[in-house]
Amino acid sequence: MRSLRWRIAALVALACCAVAVVIGVLVHRGTLERSLQVGRERAYNALTEMRREGTGQDKSTEEIPPPLLSQMLLSDEPAYWFDDRKSESPWMWGGQRVGDQLLTVQVDMGVHMRALVAFDRDVAQASLGALAVIVPLSLLLAELPNRRLRRVAGTARRIAGGDLDARIAGPARRGDEIADISTAVDSMADSLQTRLQNEQRFTADVAHELRTPLMGLVTSAELLPEGEATDLVRDRVRVLRALVEDLLEISRLDAGAERADLRPVALADVVSASLKQTALPVRLAAPTSGTLGTAETDPRRLDRILANLVINAHRHGGAPVEVAVDGTTIVVRDHGPGFPADLLADGPQRFRTGAAERGRGHGLGLTIATGQARVIGATLTLANAPDGGAVATLRLPPAGG
Amino acid sequence: MSGLREEDPVRVLLVEDDEVIRKSVAMALERYGYRVSTAQDGLTGLEMSREGGHDLLLLDVMLPGLDGIGLCRKVRETSLAPILMMSARGDSLDVVSGLEAGADDYVVKPVDTAVLVARIRSLLRRAAPAPESAGGGALVFGDLSIDRDGLEVTRAGQPVALAPTELRLLLEFAANPGIVLDRQTLLSNVWDYGWNGDSRVVDLCVQRLRKKIGADRIETVRGFGYKLRR
Repeated sequence: MRSLRWRIAALVALACCAVAVVIGVLVHRGTLERSLQVGRERAYNALTEMRREGTGQDKSTEEIPPPLLSQMLLSDEPAYWFDDRKSESPWMWGGQRVGDQLLTVQVDMGVHMRALVAFDRDVAQASLGALAVIVPLSLLLAELPNRRLRRVAGTARRIAGGDLDARIAGPARRGDEIADISTAVDSMADSLQTRLQNEQRFTADVAHELRTPLMGLVTSAELLPEGEATDLVRDRVRVLRALVEDLLEISRLDAGAERADLRPVALADVVSASLKQTALPVRLAAPTSGTLGTAETDPRRLDRILANLVINAHRHGGAPVEVAVDGTTIVVRDHGPGFPADLLADGPQRFRTGAAERGRGHGLGLTIATGQARVIGATLTLANAPDGGAVATLRLPPAGG
Repeated sequence: MSGLREEDPVRVLLVEDDEVIRKSVAMALERYGYRVSTAQDGLTGLEMSREGGHDLLLLDVMLPGLDGIGLCRKVRETSLAPILMMSARGDSLDVVSGLEAGADDYVVKPVDTAVLVARIRSLLRRAAPAPESAGGGALVFGDLSIDRDGLEVTRAGQPVALAPTELRLLLEFAANPGIVLDRQTLLSNVWDYGWNGDSRVVDLCVQRLRKKIGADRIETVRGFGYKLRR
């Protein structure tokens, strides 16, 4: 009932009812006034005849209704009073004082009043009939702009969901407000798409410009004869390569160009394979609820998240680093000083490692982990355990959910 | 394609415009026993590939003149040699276009020589299937018939030319007709990837295979994978 369509119909119905009531009341009052006028004329004629023929009945003051009596006693002019004390037999009283004689007549107003009631009923019926036609008609007519509005909303949602090619399009047939908002949404999507494409192209170009010399460096370093100096070079190449890949990953995440390659993944295999690849000492706890879940996720991105969390725990936290998998939830915790307060408050910030005593590192790991979690539709929450140590909890969507 | 015997060195054609990469990759691969010939632009690469004699092509995507994707497409017109693309951009445009053009697999630069060699070996295994994966006689699915001994595929009597990966993929499907194979299984059985493969290589290879053997022969099972229609 909150739909615009129903509101428009309700508004139309309300307006129709108001018009019907106002017109009905005006006509009702006019007709009533006319009927009373007719009643008064007939009473006057009867009084005149009575006076001329002198046949009037002299009523006792008790028989005359008090409102009429008080008028009659005030002047010699004819007085009238409409008697609707009994609604089934309304009367028009006429009375005149002639000398000390009180002449009165009663005119039956039943026919008039019944006609008025019938008229009121007709007005009500006609109004209801009109409503029965107008409300469905207004519902139908309201559906047209409603459908256009729904299309605008649907397109906006698709754009928000990442489909930047979505457009409302449709011929701009009418220059109404809906056409305006459609054009506005379309042009917003256009500029958003252009900006995103520029950003993605820039990111891809930067990747190419950085990776091409890096590839030469990596392969050449592998060709060097073994030795202490070679080890130094290879170590720096490795660090440089990791840094470049991290930065490129962050800029891809920022550009919003990342699409997850989702498939059902048995967490047991991926988690242990991923931990093995980090080549860091990690205690993989036995699952608490018995079974390891299958998550609907992108294993390569999950690996990036886990690797970054584990490396981060080793670099800034304290041993032992524990990883526990329960259903589709993965918890990485260390036994160090815990996450700094500003990280918990503001989320991970690139190139900020918090306090100096938190040690080396460029602070990109948690940014990547958070960004990748968003891409695969997982939630990553960072907290500190009550007994010390940082706790990162990754909740993955279960498969087939 | 020339036969691969143990004593014959594998011949790799490397097309790469960056001089350092070209030289260092060639040297690294030669240490692994490959014989590498190099070209520094697409058109030279195309000319050299047409002279033949290469067991595998290693193509950079961004090349002057004819780019790696165009080169890949041209090479595929006449050759079924395995093609490995190297992309420095690593974005989906490079990857998808390369695979669509007929590449069998891709790597993102910078790549360790060990990883590169692992990919090359996997590709060469597909090009020369081990005896145990072949054999088992002929299989017929509608108008498609697969001779698993001679590794020949015909459709309505006409021979179908399949690249090694496409053939390997088809054999995988033929061994499990009517059974849904998920991308993960195909990635590990055909491409030798562990859990960390890119499922787009499966999707795009299936697309290429469909073009050759009939679009409705391989059915997509949404959310799971593919199956061969009996």
